[in-house]
Amino acid sequence: MAMIRMSNIHKHFGSLNVLKGVTLEVNKGEIISIIGPSGSGKSTLLRCMNQLEKVDQGIIEIEGIVVEAAGDVGVKITATHQEVRTTYRKMGMVFQSFNLFPHLTALGNVIEAPMLVNNVAKAAAIQIAEKQLAKVGLLDKKDAFPSKLSGGQKQRVAIARALAMNPDIMLFDEPTSALDPELIGEVLSVIKNLAQEHMTMLIVTHEMGFAKEISDRVIFMDDGKILEDSSPKEFFENPRHPRIKTFLEKML
Amino acid sequence: MDHLDYVLSILPFILLGLKLTAKVYVATLLFAIPLGLLAAIGKVNGSKIIKKILFFYTWIWRGTPLLLQLFFVFYGLPIIGIKLSPFAAATITYALNSGAYLTEIFRGGIESIDKGQYEAAKALGMTYPQTMRRIIIPQTVRRVLPPTCSEAVNLVKETALLAVIGMPDLLRIATQIFTRDFNIIPFIVAFVLYLIISSVLVKLFGKLEKKYSIYE
Repeated sequence: MAMIRMSNIHKHFGSLNVLKGVTLEVNKGEIISIIGPSGSGKSTLLRCMNQLEKVDQGIIEIEGIVVEAAGDVGVKITATHQEVRTTYRKMGMVFQSFNLFPHLTALGNVIEAPMLVNNVAKAAAIQIAEKQLAKVGLLDKKDAFPSKLSGGQKQRVAIARALAMNPDIMLFDEPTSALDPELIGEVLSVIKNLAQEHMTMLIVTHEMGFAKEISDRVIFMDDGKILEDSSPKEFFENPRHPRIKTFLEKML
Repeated sequence: MDHLDYVLSILPFILLGLKLTAKVYVATLLFAIPLGLLAAIGKVNGSKIIKKILFFYTWIWRGTPLLLQLFFVFYGLPIIGIKLSPFAAATITYALNSGAYLTEIFRGGIESIDKGQYEAAKALGMTYPQTMRRIIIPQTVRRVLPPTCSEAVNLVKETALLAVIGMPDLLRIATQIFTRDFNIIPFIVAFVLYLIISSVLVKLFGKLEKKYSIYE
C-alpha cells in the first residue's frame, strides 16, 4: 500500500526552481534515503510532504487521501479540512537543527503535542513521553532543559517528541548534519531501531554508510529532479548515472 | 528634628498623590500589556489591513509628544463632544501610548524567535494559536523582559505629566505644598518616592528575568 504518493511536484522560491516535477511513491514500512548534492531539492521535497512548504504544482496523497492538489492537475481535495489536518498528523518530522522548545524540559517537549493536539490527559501524556524517552535512552534526562543536553541528546529527544504523536511515517531532514562526528552514532542507532519496527521513513542524509545499511531504496536527487531510484546495492555498487559516480567518489 | 516633623506632616498629602499616580499606573499597564501583545501578534501575522492600521497606531502614538496626546484627550476631545472623566482620559491616553511602545518591544521579541520553532510546532500538528500561546509567547516573554522593564520605569516618570493637566498626582501635590510653604523638602520627598517605585520595579523585573532564565 502506498503511504505517500507525490505526483509531478513543482516548487520554486522566487526565480529559483527547486523541484522540477518530482514523482515519488512510498510504500508502507519502506525506508528511503534521499541523497544528493546540496541545493538539489532533497530537503524541500521532504518539507513539501508535510506542508512546511507549499507546493506550486502537483498532487500529494497520504494514506489514500489527497491532501494537496495545486495547479491545474485535474484532481481536487475532497477531504474536509479536519481530515486533511488529521492525515498530516500521521507524519512526524525530525529537523537538522533539532528545533526543541528551549523553554520546556525534555519531558515537556515530548508531552506538549499529545496534550495540545490530541487532547491526551497530562498523566497519560507523561506515560507516553517516558516510554518514548526510554526508547531513545534518555529517560534519565527527562527533567533537563535542552540547553543542558548535547547535540546528540537533543536530536534523540526530538525523535521521541515526534514518536509521541504516534506517526505512521517519519521524515528525517539531515538528522545528523549538525552533530559533532562522535555524536552521530547515537542518533543513527535510534533511527536503526525504528527501522527494525518497520516504521515508514524518509531520510535525507549525507551518511552514505548508514544509507547503504538501512535503506530499502535510495533516491538520488540532482537539480530538482530524481535522477535515480534504486536499491542501495545497485546504487552504491553500480550507479548508472555518471553524475552519481562523481558524487559518490567525492563522498566516500 | 524639625525637618522630620515637617516631612511627616506633609507625607499624608503626598501619599494621597502617590495613590492616584499608582492607580493610573496600574490601570495603564493592565490595558497596555494585553494591547501591546495583541498588536504585536497582529503586526507579525495580521492581514494587510490590520498591519496597516497597527502601523498608523504605533506611528502616531510613538511619533508625537505624550503631553500633546494628553492635552488632546483632556482639552481637545471635550470640544467635539467626547467627555471622559479625568481618570479615564488619563488611563486611556497612557495605555494607548505605552501600548504603542510595548507593541514594538513585543514585535521585536516575537520576530527574534527562530522560525524552526514554528516549523517544529506545525510538524507536530499544533495550530497557529496553540503555537503562539504555548511555544512562541513564553519564549518571547523572557526576551522582552529587559526592554519592558525600561518601559515600565519610563511610565512611572511619565505619570508626572498628570500634574500638568491638573490631576492631583504625586508631583502636583508636592508642587502645591512647595508653593504653599516655599520649602525644598516636598520636592525631595517626591524624588525619594519616585526612586523607591522605580527601584522596586527594577528589582521585580530582575526577579522575573531570573525566574524565566532557568532554561538557558
